[in-house]
Amino acid sequence: MNGHLSSRPSRTAHLSVRLLLSTAVAGLALAGCRGNKSAEPPVHPNLNMDFQQNYKPQEENAWFSDKRAVRALPAGAVAQDRDRSDVELNSGRGADGRLLNGLPASVKLDDALLARGEERFGIYCSPCHEKSGYGHGIIVQRGLKVPPPSFHEARLQAMPLGYFFDVITHGKGTMKPYASQVPVADRWAIAAWLRVLQVSQRAQIADIPDASREQLLRGTP
Amino acid sequence: MAQIFPRWTNKIPLMVGVGAPVALCGVVFVVWYYFSPRFTDVGYQPKQPVPFSHKLHAGQMGLDCRYCHSTVERSSFAAIPPNATCMNCHANLDLGERQKRVQPVIDSYEGKKSLEWVKVHMLPDYAYFNHSVHLNAGVGCSSCHGRIDQMDVVYQAEPLSMSWCLDCHRNPEPNLRPHDQVTNMAWSAADADAYDAAKDPNRKRKFDAELVSPGMPRTPEHLNPPISNCSGCHR
Ligand code: HEC
Ligand code: HEC
Ligand code: HEC
Ligand code: HEC
Ligand code: HEC
Ligand code: HEC
Repeated sequence: MNGHLSSRPSRTAHLSVRLLLSTAVAGLALAGCRGNKSAEPPVHPNLNMDFQQNYKPQEENAWFSDKRAVRALPAGAVAQDRDRSDVELNSGRGADGRLLNGLPASVKLDDALLARGEERFGIYCSPCHEKSGYGHGIIVQRGLKVPPPSFHEARLQAMPLGYFFDVITHGKGTMKPYASQVPVADRWAIAAWLRVLQVSQRAQIADIPDASREQLLRGTP
Repeated sequence: MAQIFPRWTNKIPLMVGVGAPVALCGVVFVVWYYFSPRFTDVGYQPKQPVPFSHKLHAGQMGLDCRYCHSTVERSSFAAIPPNATCMNCHANLDLGERQKRVQPVIDSYEGKKSLEWVKVHMLPDYAYFNHSVHLNAGVGCSSCHGRIDQMDVVYQAEPLSMSWCLDCHRNPEPNLRPHDQVTNMAWSAADADAYDAAKDPNRKRKFDAELVSPGMPRTPEHLNPPISNCSGCHR
């Protein structure tokens, strides 16, 4: 009797240990491994102050019908920190209202400006206009309905520098404005680089400084 | 007299002695493995309202990240692009059959309904993060976001835990690049080995491994990520 009694609980103990182990294993298997892809929002085991009562940029706010915490600006609003007193810089036009044919007085032409222009042109313009400016960029190859003109056609070669600033700022035809993506200083850098591209395509051997000409003819750096 | 405790109870101390440590180890393991952001956060890949693909736009077509995330170098926030940015191209594209995949963007642009993109990477509100500081220090997107250019749908590739931040802050050198490479997704460990940040004359912020340690004097021109000054990130 005694022996029987003592063996039963130990069998249950074994069973429950097995049950425990298998649920643990099943649980771990269900929980998956680190790095598995999941569309479920992350669980925060300890909430602390992870979600505070303030809004970060672009956050959702259910109060408004369009759910945007950041409200649209009223038409015509000017950012407080934007100094618009330099008319040439900000509009690309001189005091007489005509497009500038050169950089505004406050922008200095140097290697840094051109390097910046090259980089920014590569980011914002080359998808359509191509790095060389001929206008066969990847988006054009992928079916842009109106292909952009080549910067090397006579009409655009003759344009004053301010015109390029103006096109970036306000767009032209089917090309949308890039003012929100490209700040003012970068627009001038891009315009300057655009001019460099144009000049590069009609340069004569005589335009090249003596020192570099030799190097060019040699064909090695 | 009947025994109060049957014989098997003799084994209880043994079972407790062996079982409790095992159970404790189990609990520690479960917390260590499953409560870590490496489990809870990494791999988060929410469904987005538009089947927008970075693999197509940034990978195959080679658009630079900054074409769309244009504030990333200037502000703390990288920002999801406004619909107008998509419309730069999509206003003049006709994808035929696939046009309906872009339709929500066009509807939203025309003012019908805002697009509700789901945020993937999210720090707790008590932690401060700034993109522009990191980009101007020459840290590339792929160090923190993984190969976005190979993702059709964005997922979180790194844990974004405090220890992860600190691992880099203590030894940023392997993650530094020349400034013109920050959006290069293919930047590899071999490229990083070949690049010596301390010797790059073009760096906006100089790098000196000596100065990147707690207690060293901060200089305005050297990189100095917060490590032991908690208020650097919890401000
Ligand atoms: C999405 C493709 C696209 C991008 C990106 C783009 N453009 Fe254009 N661009 C066009 C198209 C298309 C036209 C022709 C517009 C038309 O005539 O309707 C054009 C025309 C132009 C013209 C000539 C305007 C004229 O008088 O014919 C200039 C200059 C120009 N773009 C400059 C730029 C610069 C600078 C950038 C970079 C900031 C840029 N574009 C980015 C598509 C693009
Ligand atoms: C054509 C525009 C475009 C380009 C180019 C682009 N992105 Fe994005 N990106 C988006 C949009 C739209 C979203 C929001 C939808 C999503 O998460 O997929 C996004 C989301 C992201 C997110 C997730 C943000 C979050 O919610 O946490 C990251 C990270 C990101 N992009 C990084 C990059 C990187 C790195 C590159 C350059 C390789 C890049 N993007 C290029 C448009 C773009
Ligand atoms: C620089 C130009 C450009 C920009 C900016 C752009 N796209 Fe595209 N997108 C394209 C082109 C070109 C295609 C067609 C590619 C192809 O040939 O498959 C495309 C295709 C798509 C498709 C269809 C993909 C598929 O799998 O069929 C979607 C959806 C899309 N884009 C969404 C967006 C969204 C959302 C944005 C804004 C965040 C955006 N695009 C910004 C050029 C652009
Ligand atoms: C040092 C690490 C780091 C680098 C480098 C980095 N990011 Fe991020 N990114 C983060 C973190 C952390 C978040 C989450 C921020 C939050 O929730 O406050 C984030 C969020 C984002 C978001 C969502 C919007 C936002 O700002 O919260 C986008 C888009 C994004 N990153 C794009 C980029 C792009 C594009 C680059 C490269 C040009 C880049 N990131 C480089 C760490 C980084
Ligand atoms: C891949 C490397 C890397 C990662 C990952 C990283 N950082 Fe940094 N962080 C840096 C470097 C380098 C600096 C130094 C910048 C400087 O001094 O110019 C820095 C500086 C900072 C600063 C100081 C900014 C200021 O205004 O002085 C803060 C705050 C910061 N990081 C927060 C974070 C947080 C939060 C995370 C994690 C979500 C993180 N970082 C992840 C490399 C990194
Ligand atoms: C490099 C930036 C950085 C620095 C420096 C830093 N932290 Fe953090 N800390 C973070 C981030 C990011 C998180 C959020 C981690 C997460 O989401 O899991 C965090 C989370 C925390 C948490 C909450 C942990 C939790 O999950 O409940 C505490 C507590 C904390 N930090 C304390 C400190 C203290 C104390 C110091 C100074 C010794 C410090 N931190 C320095 C970035 C930082």
